Amino acid sequence: MSKINEVKELVETGKSKKVGAAVQEAIDVGNKPADILQAMVDSMSVVGDKFSSGEIFVPEMLIAAKAMSKGVDVLRPLMAGDNSASLGTCVIGTVAGDLHDIGKNLVSMMIESAGFTMVDLGVDVPAENFVKAAKENDNVTLIACSGLLTTTMPALKEAVETIKASGLSGCKVIVGGAPVTPEFAAEIGADGYAADAGSAAVKAKELVK
Amino acid sequence: MNQRENFFAMIEGKKPEFIPNSMEVYKSCIAGTCITDSPLMGGVDSFGVNWVATKEGAMPEPNKFLFDEIADWKEHVHFADLDSLGIEAAAAKEMEDFNQNNRNELVVNVFSACGLFERMAAFMGFENALCSLVEDPDSCREFFEALADYRIACHNRFIDAYQPDVLTYFDDLATANGLFMSPKVYREVIKPSHQRIVEAVTSRGVIFSQHTCGKCEEIVGDYVEMGARIWHSAQSMNDLEGIQEKYNDRLIIEGGWDSSGPASYIGASTEDLIEEAKRCANVYGQKGNFILMPTLLNENGNSLFVGDPRLEPMLKAFNEINKL
Repeated sequence: MSKINEVKELVETGKSKKVGAAVQEAIDVGNKPADILQAMVDSMSVVGDKFSSGEIFVPEMLIAAKAMSKGVDVLRPLMAGDNSASLGTCVIGTVAGDLHDIGKNLVSMMIESAGFTMVDLGVDVPAENFVKAAKENDNVTLIACSGLLTTTMPALKEAVETIKASGLSGCKVIVGGAPVTPEFAAEIGADGYAADAGSAAVKAKELVK
Repeated sequence: MNQRENFFAMIEGKKPEFIPNSMEVYKSCIAGTCITDSPLMGGVDSFGVNWVATKEGAMPEPNKFLFDEIADWKEHVHFADLDSLGIEAAAAKEMEDFNQNNRNELVVNVFSACGLFERMAAFMGFENALCSLVEDPDSCREFFEALADYRIACHNRFIDAYQPDVLTYFDDLATANGLFMSPKVYREVIKPSHQRIVEAVTSRGVIFSQHTCGKCEEIVGDYVEMGARIWHSAQSMNDLEGIQEKYNDRLIIEGGWDSSGPASYIGASTEDLIEEAKRCANVYGQKGNFILMPTLLNENGNSLFVGDPRLEPMLKAFNEINKL
């Protein structure tokens, strides 16, 4: 098996203790860092698909994301200043009045694994803070808003409306959470909706390309 | 039949006279678990975890963990001396206005919050807890065994203090889309300790009710096999009708309410609620193994704690169509 395929397999199976060394070996035999990164992104895409189809569960997805993160740690110093593989920055947060972070964290990990730089605003985020973060950070291409409760659906609406009214250009808005439907997402003016973390990564890539 | 007689008819597999609802059938008791497990109004629990009050109840403060690696649990987890917590005094206060006549009318249901997995997540966060289940199952099993000992001791105290008919044990293991972990991981890592908890309750002659929100239908059979008689908050993303058909008089479905649907939206009308209650009665209520549990959140929070003017007319309308 080629070193790059070994990295892919280690990411897919969540072997975080072995990935760092495998990435280093892949570099040592002449693979380009950008190609190794792309291989890991591809692995996470497979992981996301398997999660969305119910073949694997949250823990398996989490350990894969953790493994990729270990691999990226090895690549980072070699790729400083090389943004060719980056899909831009994604600002993410759970909307005002909602303290739930599990879904948001899972989505954040998967979107990061797809090639975005993440700015995580945490939970209970007022609508204007999404806009502020998008203005303060470079190359924000996506804003992701999460809400678990039916009672915070109005806050999701407010967040999307505030972002859209702010004059930010070149950045798309994706929403999700247990009570959110594609119809609701469209109704409040979001550019995209995803039902789970795996499809959120797919949708995120689609929105910014 | 009164509420109690009707409930026990269901438990005994006889035909109940009406479809009960959780707001009227139970005397729900929470003071004990607020001391031993999670403080309802927020604050630091007996393990040192800080809980924050939210509109829908208390939850562990996000991103504040006692430890990250489950292998380290023994260094950080210290079980409280149950003699020092005042469980009996709190129970006595909670039950002071509940007399024998009330006991003859209603079903006493003691809540036991923050079950095995939820407690693990309260200590180390959901991501760490979920990774641990597959990365270090042996340490997880050891942790769950010790925690089960504690929970069993708490439950025995609750049973002595409240003399309940039902104990509802809360452990959320699923999202709206499916289980957090695979059924295999649940069965291999969590279930052995879970089973001991169920058996310790049922061995005292108390009915075990399992609370799990979300789409957890893949392990409902495990709950039944362990001895749970009620599945609480059974939400409509599961195949509730199929489960009712399959387990018939072995399991009571308590829930049904579409908590992500229009009847749970802010601004839903009383008529919307009545329609949802009627839907539940028609779809789930006819087999005699269903308790309606309206999960209603409003601007102020969970209606169970903060009330809601729409509940009374909704229940009135429900009670007009709930005869079997």
